[in-house]
Amino acid sequence: MDPILHVQGLEKIYGGRGNRTHALRGLDLKVFPGEFVGVMGPSGSGKTTLLNCISTIDAPSAGSIMVDGAELTRLKGKALAKFRRERLGFIFQDCNLLDTLTGLENIALALTISGTDPRSVEKRAREAAALLGVEDVLDKFPYQMSGGQQQRVAAARAMVTNPALIFADEPTGALDSKSTGMLLGQLDKLNRQEGATILLVTHDAFTASYCRRILFLRDGQLYKELHRGGTDRRMFFREILSVVSELGGDSGDVL
Amino acid sequence: MSCKLAFRNVRRSIRDYAVYFLTLTFGVCLFYVFSALDGQSVMQFLARNNNPNVEAIFVLVGVFSAFVAVVLAGLILYANQFLMKRRKRELGTYALLGMPTGRVARLLVMETLFIGLAALLSGIALGILGSWALDKLTVAMFLATPGDIFTFSISWAAAGKTALYFGVIFLLVMAFTGVSVSRARLIDLIRSGRTNEEVAQRPLALSVALFLLGCASLGTAYAILLSRGLLRIDLLWFIMLGLGTLGTFLIFRSLSGFLLRMTKGHAGYYKGLNMFVLRQWSGKVHTNCASNTVISILLLLAIGVTACSVGLNDTITATVGGQTPYDLTVLNFGREGNYEEADVGSLFRNIGVEPETCFASMESVTVYYNEEAITGFPEAGFYAAIGLSRYNELMEARKLPLLTEDALPQRTPDAIVNGPAADGIVVVPDAMLSQLRPRRQMVNINYAGNVSQVDDLVRMSLDEAEDFPAGLDIMMNYKLDNYYDLMGAKILVLYMGLYLGLVFLLTAAAVLALQQLSQAADNAQRYELLSKLGAPEAMRRGALIRQVALAFLLPLLLGVVHAFVGMKAANQVINVMGHVDSVHSSLLTALFLLVIYGGYFLATCFGAWRAVRGIGDRR
Repeated sequence: MDPILHVQGLEKIYGGRGNRTHALRGLDLKVFPGEFVGVMGPSGSGKTTLLNCISTIDAPSAGSIMVDGAELTRLKGKALAKFRRERLGFIFQDCNLLDTLTGLENIALALTISGTDPRSVEKRAREAAALLGVEDVLDKFPYQMSGGQQQRVAAARAMVTNPALIFADEPTGALDSKSTGMLLGQLDKLNRQEGATILLVTHDAFTASYCRRILFLRDGQLYKELHRGGTDRRMFFREILSVVSELGGDSGDVL
Repeated sequence: MSCKLAFRNVRRSIRDYAVYFLTLTFGVCLFYVFSALDGQSVMQFLARNNNPNVEAIFVLVGVFSAFVAVVLAGLILYANQFLMKRRKRELGTYALLGMPTGRVARLLVMETLFIGLAALLSGIALGILGSWALDKLTVAMFLATPGDIFTFSISWAAAGKTALYFGVIFLLVMAFTGVSVSRARLIDLIRSGRTNEEVAQRPLALSVALFLLGCASLGTAYAILLSRGLLRIDLLWFIMLGLGTLGTFLIFRSLSGFLLRMTKGHAGYYKGLNMFVLRQWSGKVHTNCASNTVISILLLLAIGVTACSVGLNDTITATVGGQTPYDLTVLNFGREGNYEEADVGSLFRNIGVEPETCFASMESVTVYYNEEAITGFPEAGFYAAIGLSRYNELMEARKLPLLTEDALPQRTPDAIVNGPAADGIVVVPDAMLSQLRPRRQMVNINYAGNVSQVDDLVRMSLDEAEDFPAGLDIMMNYKLDNYYDLMGAKILVLYMGLYLGLVFLLTAAAVLALQQLSQAADNAQRYELLSKLGAPEAMRRGALIRQVALAFLLPLLLGVVHAFVGMKAANQVINVMGHVDSVHSSLLTALFLLVIYGGYFLATCFGAWRAVRGIGDRR
């Protein structure tokens, strides 16, 4: 099977002469369709840079990124925006939803931007909401929803366009543990039942334990890869914790 | 150190300050131009000729300037408040870093000072240019200029007055800023993130009901205005004003809800960023509907005042042209009340004015005593009669419509001589003249060559001549005399109208621009999210322009409708004199609207777009 995301020799250098910072040093990774992959690493390991490069928000210095057979580094301007809105879905840590739109409209926004037939917009938005269990907040504004509901509406918006790849950047960062569990449960369901491919960036071991496979970054390179395999989530969580403490960074986050 | 930081802040946030600066500059410029009216060439010329309107113009400019200063002070304070709100976070950071509140306040006061000084200087510079342009315009309007009266002058008195008035306003702003900063609590400064108004969901029925109620009360106000006219000021007049204001307010209040509910579920709602734009607009409607009402009334005043003054001005011009068709009319009342025809040409030759070289044309007209028994017109209102063929000769020379025998007798449709003597003359068939006694000789003269030079020559020669009338009772009616009188009135009406109209327009546009720009911080986050969701730049720009256009166009639309109805009513008052809604006045008003309102619209679009464009697209 062809990988849906294929990153090869990715390098990103910030700064100019004298103060160069290697954020990524020749990173390779593959994500296959239907996978639920986590990316972990301490601060400064290159997580955010990687995500920015893959999500076309930033341009890499060298290397190639193939998403669904398309070479991202060669796309420009309009084609890039088109690619972003049609093939990628995003869930961010905060400022996720537009405060002026209702839940339904927030989900619908992703469709209207990509020029979907206006008559089918509402129906598709409602279907996506049903998948993430947020049908009852569709007529509410973001400030009337809980944080967890907001993130699930954001998740519905991310998948409503049937993207090849859904990026989740610290989606649970601002949530309490109950909401975190609920959101991740729904993402897991989305991955299992709908076959959605999800790439989740986090520094929280509990959040990461929902993934099938975890990539650990350190100093801009792949440090270790962890497969969940047949083990249950509790065991997987322990494994993750040991790698995190091995990495030395961010262990405070899990205690 | 504070000074340096303040200067750097101003330079760095020059874009934030752009609209503020623009408004200050325009305000100063307008204020200077109208304070410097006494230095205008035409005004000085009129003052030399003891025109009675000149004094009135200066008094009115003084009164209006005080009023305008109050309006501008309000506007500047309002603008300043917006800037402060926008920079709360930054000020909070200074305070957090341990800068004493006094220093922060001083920093802001210093910034205000820099901007104020810069605006004052550039405003006066622009004002000098504007004054020059207005001077040129007035001289051009002054159709028959006696020689070249144009002189370029800079009015230091006006500059001083402008500096004084705006100095006081800036002091006020500085005091206001200083006090509000030193009173602000750190927590408020730091936590001044987005505060969104809660978008209350109103039932469709309520929105529709409010909207209809608004339309109804506006309609009632219009009906009262149109049926009673503009100037009957009593209780009902105030009720009319109240209803009009209420109607405007209700329409602004309910329109977004109304539209939202009407379009929702409609296919167009889910097309591109339509939904987003509509929501952006309706999200701010509750905060903005009061100010929108004020803006639309300001626009009504701006449009109404500008159009009326230009229209009246045209009417006055037409009056001058109609009432004084000749450069000079010599009225010969005869000798001791008895008709005696004189050879006016030789009379002029005797005092040294050669008719052959000085006059382009000279036509003697004799009018007859009007007798009701013969002409059928009462002698009370019609003192004289003229024969049809003579009347038609005069009209033919001026290329005006001729009369035919079967329409006679009738009042002269067009003036046959200069001045009030042209009123009350009946045109009668030539045959009737044999039954009437001649009453008066009138000689119409058009000058050859430079009108004002010949005019001066005629007047001087008449002053020096000792026996010019030669025992005859003769009066002169000069076109230029009539002209200067009317010109004074014209300039009075035009200047005052333009002054107030421009200030109102400026205020309305500036408030709208500031409102839009103050939302830029909130909008930046929203547009960044749109960009992350893959909305291309053109789509986002289109949405932003539509958002700004909605904010600018709706008050304008209502203001124009108000002004249209108001001018209809104004016409009923002054239609004795002519129409105020002439094509010319509408065009000029539209031009001002386009330039000032359009200028602010563009500046707002650019400013807002720069604020929200964001990082979205690399490469």
